[in-house]
Amino acid sequence: MAPNVLYHCPCLSASSVPPPPHLASSSYSFHPLHTLFFCEECDAVRCNRCVSVEVSGYYCPNCLFEVPSASVRAEKNRCARNCFMCPNCRNTLSVVPSDPPDADDGRLSAPISTVGEPPFFLYCNHCRWDSSEVGITFEKPTGLASQLQKLEDSAPDSLEFDRLKEHFEPIIRASSLSSSSSAAPSTSHSHHHSNPITAAASAALARDIPGVAKYTPHARSGRPSGKDRSANKDEMLEYKSRLTISHASAYGSGGGEVDVDFMRRLEDVSEVASLEQRWNYSWSTSLETRDLKPLRIPLHSKRSKRCPACTHILIKPEQKAQSVRYKIKLVAANYLPAITVALPHQVEMMGHISAEAAKRSAKAPVDDDKDTKGLQAGKTYPFHMALTNPLYDPIQVRLSVQRMHVTAATSSGEGGTTEKTRRPPFAISIPTTPFSIAPFAEAWEYEDDEEMFGLDDDELEARLSGREKEVKSKSKTVGVLEKRANVTVVGGEVALGKEARGEVKFNMLVAYTYRSDDPAPSEGHDVSPSKKAVPETKTFAFYTIVDLGNIIPKEDPRIDSYDV
Amino acid sequence: MEPPIYYSRAEFIETDTGNKVSRRATIAGPQNIILGGKTIISSGAIIRGDLRRSGPGHAVVISLGRYCVVGEGCVMRPPYKTYRGAFNYYPMKVGDFVHIGAGSVVEAATIGNHVVIGRNCIIGKFTIIKDCAKIADNTVIPPNTVIPALSLFAGSPGHFIEDLPESTQDIVEIQTKQVCRVSSYSTLPFLIECHA
Repeated sequence: MAPNVLYHCPCLSASSVPPPPHLASSSYSFHPLHTLFFCEECDAVRCNRCVSVEVSGYYCPNCLFEVPSASVRAEKNRCARNCFMCPNCRNTLSVVPSDPPDADDGRLSAPISTVGEPPFFLYCNHCRWDSSEVGITFEKPTGLASQLQKLEDSAPDSLEFDRLKEHFEPIIRASSLSSSSSAAPSTSHSHHHSNPITAAASAALARDIPGVAKYTPHARSGRPSGKDRSANKDEMLEYKSRLTISHASAYGSGGGEVDVDFMRRLEDVSEVASLEQRWNYSWSTSLETRDLKPLRIPLHSKRSKRCPACTHILIKPEQKAQSVRYKIKLVAANYLPAITVALPHQVEMMGHISAEAAKRSAKAPVDDDKDTKGLQAGKTYPFHMALTNPLYDPIQVRLSVQRMHVTAATSSGEGGTTEKTRRPPFAISIPTTPFSIAPFAEAWEYEDDEEMFGLDDDELEARLSGREKEVKSKSKTVGVLEKRANVTVVGGEVALGKEARGEVKFNMLVAYTYRSDDPAPSEGHDVSPSKKAVPETKTFAFYTIVDLGNIIPKEDPRIDSYDV
Repeated sequence: MEPPIYYSRAEFIETDTGNKVSRRATIAGPQNIILGGKTIISSGAIIRGDLRRSGPGHAVVISLGRYCVVGEGCVMRPPYKTYRGAFNYYPMKVGDFVHIGAGSVVEAATIGNHVVIGRNCIIGKFTIIKDCAKIADNTVIPPNTVIPALSLFAGSPGHFIEDLPESTQDIVEIQTKQVCRVSSYSTLPFLIECHA
């Protein structure tokens, strides 16, 4: 894996300090920059784990038809048109006509109609499953879902579901009435979903399972009145299912004697439907592959996302299902500097490989996994970090490495030893003085960068043989190395201990200062020249984790010949 | 910071609009192929512009947008079917910023903008790929599949895996532009990054 940088999202936790990289929780709190959002109101980073999500539209992933939310419920979240999924391989099924009757002369006669011959059936282009195997054929090739409707409506699962709905409807109606009367807008975005239905459910759980009560928020709050209310609402009749489960096997849902019988006669393992094939169904189904029925394709949704703290919208897609544009899109990449990290000796190596490939001009498949990326224990490596400024104003950036032995107590003697074992086996040095990054300007996008890496043959030769221009002056590895456009490259150094092993990973705090736009700089008010000298600035700090790759232990026989 | 990708200048023919076509690529029926500009056709790629619709006159068989990259050894050929008893090829249209990994075979009908197709994929006949979709390496997409916008497909047959982040369009645009500017043709730095 190439060296990379991930960004921390505090996810509303009280402390904004991320866990040290050796803890397992570390990998959960860091994300790639492009998956993060930025809330301008709260001035904070948000990730997909902490934003609140709302569905803004439904569509079928196959026919791309947008489904109004009213019919989504009626059609049970599935496409009501001609889209079916292969029960065998989950591919999309297509409607095919029967073979036209052979003409007497043996040649294919011209098709009679444009759509082909009835009966039509569903056919999988991938695994060649077809619906006539399970006895499903159609009179006409359109409106398949409605043709199947009758079959589906009489299926035991939909009957059972209707019965369940019927059973719970009065309770939902009653609870929605009471909740609308006592609706407090402040509780609507609390983290515990404490609407009356979940309250009733948790009360039922607390009653039926001894010991659970103390974990439910209601019991903890200790308000007898609340307890009474939920107990009241809990008065629901016991639900009796349409079929008792012991008789269900008689209706083709598997289980019991039927399965034993089937297993006894089993010859080929593919006759048994795999779990993946079966758990798309809402009802327990037969074990046999040949009983699998085509499924209507589940709908997909477009979602808008809100900040969990202030409920401002972070993402709002356009209404059209297949549009990739957004009405509102507050992504972190537009606010935070993008950081990429590289190890110069690896970059050199990659360049070498690609030059070699160009020389040989064979279609050299460059092996990415080639172990050129190892870091050897006991050595010191420089690394480069390129920071890109997405803002239209220049920023001042300050980097600092988070100390990692935070856990150990340093006061007592034995504390010192534990600290020693915990200390990471490498030392990082990065520039600590602030440096500036020039603003982003649209013009750079169009600048025709003619700095191509096209090499004539003799140049290629030169690169390969001598690698003339040896690594830049060794003198400066830590500090600002290069500034171009809105990118500043800084160098750092990692010194690996003799016994080092594992990954070289460290947390880095990035603080940047930018000119705030909030007090609009009005040029007309230059009456007092003393004031205008101080532009309003703001500082934003965020944590990142820098992963430089794995350490190759000393005794490892592999030798990195391209070591710089 | 990406490692530079070197190529032999002698190997590529550059057109007025900045397309780079490898001399080792097989371009059949070039009069039926449109390249949008700044597009790279890598060595060993095969583009079948000769499989055109029957009938007189000029016909565009394969059109590629701007900043596309066709990887090494890719095969792009128009889809075909027999309709009302007549065999015919149908045109293939590819949008801007489309990246096709090395060794893939593409017979799609339409590919939108900002689409990334991994290595060694097979894209079946008449597949429709919408904007900003991504196909993972070694995926087999059966014929007539529709791939919705902003979705990742993988497996054999290819299934929907997950929704891609909202900023996919920007990422793909930046990365393909980088590749096209730097003129890669072998390792594609952004693919490595995407899979990391």
